Amino acid sequence: MRWRRWAIPLSSLPLLALLAWGLTRDAHTVPSPLPGKPAPDFALQTLTGDSLHLHDLTGQAVLVNFWASWCLACRAEHQVMLDVAKRYGPQGLRIVGVVYEDTRDNAKQWLKERGGDWINVVDVGSHTAIQYGLFGVPETFFIARDGRILYKQIGPLDEASADKWVPRLLAATSGGPEGAPAEGQTPGHVQNAPAPRE
Amino acid sequence: MSKLVGPAARAAVLLISLAFSLPRAAFAAQATQDTAVTQDSALEAKVRDVASALRCPVCQNLSILDSPSQLARDMKKVVREKLAAGESPDEVRRYFVSRYGEWVLLKPKASGVNLSVWLLPLLALLGGAAVVWTAVRRWVRQGATATGTPPPTEESFSDLRARRAGLKASIEELDAELAAGRLTATDHAFLKQRDEAELAVVNEDMKRLRKAQPGSAPVGAQTSPAQADAPRATAKRFRVPPALGWGAGLAAFAVVAALSLKESVVAREPGGSITGEQAGAAAPPGGPFGKAGPLDSLRITQLEARVRRDSSDVPALVELGHLYLIQGRFKSSADVSMKAVQLEPDAEESAEAFAHLGMILFSTGEIDGAMKSVDKALFLHPDLPEALLYKGIVLFAGERNMSAAAVTLQRYLEVAPADANTARVQGMLQAAREADSAGTTGRR
Repeated sequence: MRWRRWAIPLSSLPLLALLAWGLTRDAHTVPSPLPGKPAPDFALQTLTGDSLHLHDLTGQAVLVNFWASWCLACRAEHQVMLDVAKRYGPQGLRIVGVVYEDTRDNAKQWLKERGGDWINVVDVGSHTAIQYGLFGVPETFFIARDGRILYKQIGPLDEASADKWVPRLLAATSGGPEGAPAEGQTPGHVQNAPAPRE
Repeated sequence: MSKLVGPAARAAVLLISLAFSLPRAAFAAQATQDTAVTQDSALEAKVRDVASALRCPVCQNLSILDSPSQLARDMKKVVREKLAAGESPDEVRRYFVSRYGEWVLLKPKASGVNLSVWLLPLLALLGGAAVVWTAVRRWVRQGATATGTPPPTEESFSDLRARRAGLKASIEELDAELAAGRLTATDHAFLKQRDEAELAVVNEDMKRLRKAQPGSAPVGAQTSPAQADAPRATAKRFRVPPALGWGAGLAAFAVVAALSLKESVVAREPGGSITGEQAGAAAPPGGPFGKAGPLDSLRITQLEARVRRDSSDVPALVELGHLYLIQGRFKSSADVSMKAVQLEPDAEESAEAFAHLGMILFSTGEIDGAMKSVDKALFLHPDLPEALLYKGIVLFAGERNMSAAAVTLQRYLEVAPADANTARVQGMLQAAREADSAGTTGRR
């Protein structure tokens, strides 16, 4: 009969453990299956009317940054992007802005006011955004020279993240699974998923 | 010569194959057109099915079917494109999982850790049942010991106490006599054993008596065996309720839970409101067209199958037009009704299709076209209630010809069976007559 005295407190332990595990996690992090996978390719029109094929940038370190002129967080992020472009551009970093759910004119106006001379493309119909599993703007994908996604930043890019990940992006020569998975991100567990179009 | 035969033969073959393929192509085009409507609604049903199970990334617990956000709409478009391109619903779901992770599935896969979501409730239910079972059994056992064993009937508590004292004294006396040498060891052992056995019985009786009547002084509990049996019988009858009550309560809970679950997880009707019947929800479809019933979807599926087998099945097309109209699917209703009137422009069975087309035209603001269509319906079938009702509505709300509206609605009330529409039509008729007599007749 002595076990009865311990039965009730002991049975609550798994529940407490579950709560402790659940409550100490950041509810906002959603594991993305994309880091470690080849970046989905896209061919979109730039703001200047040319066409950009992501595939053509293979071999270079690329930041793909989804943004919109109506997005407040993108405003704060833009300063960081300008800084990143200035510091890492000469080292070979390419930045591709993807205008999300916004008009060409708004985007042009925004860049005229705030600066930024990297390529920007317009994602009509959000096909590319969905291909990249976008939750909202801003989101930034760090794409290594071999075309794989090294890291995905949800929310505005900050200096610390940029300084941590951009050098890795530039350093990774042929990449491979070495770069992934990113910290705080699980590479995901995709079963029988169709291979991303290259 | 052989050089010439080659091209000529090839040309001939080409011509022959063209001759064969042309009608076939034309037939195929016709067939495609015929099945376009039904294929369209089948695709839409599939899109709804897939979209309702995908989570909208920018919302709180809404599927991309329910969400009005732009991203959700774009995602729905991707779903439709992929399904139309021949991908299976599973493939489409896998695509979204490969982009957004399993998070995107509103109903996660029942495997791995996820399985606990399915199994834990079951375990909890079983554990709860075990707890209830043991508790009930304990109560039953307690009830049995409290009322089931007959209380010692021969002696009262004080008698027992006196007997116990006597036995104890007797044992002490035996010991003293042994010590004094007045008793042999064998006799002493035999007598002492006898007294001790009796003492044990007395002790047991006293214990039982104390348990049976806790608190109350068990004095003079002189009851005959017959009298003791009577309360035991009633107690037996009263012992059942706890178990029965708990069982019935559990069963009722299970039934209520199952029913409400069934109610809440059922798929929304096409075009139904996200918020269900809550305040602020859109009015349920129906209006003057009748009431959408839960069996309509089933009937629609049957009729769509009929049309797929035989695209010139006019009665099926007409009924389909009616059901689509009830559900507020004007485009689909217009398509099938149009098909029906094209197949049988002058048959009485097409009258209803003309009436539906009239109502759809009216809803798009085409009052003249609506008028022509309902008039054609009434020409084919002079007392078709639907046509009378729709014509009345067009006259009343469209042409604002109150005297004509009053005549038509009056006729409708005469020929149509009384239903949910009757009161509404009577109201409209009343309003038409008042407006007519007030002299506000005519177009504005």
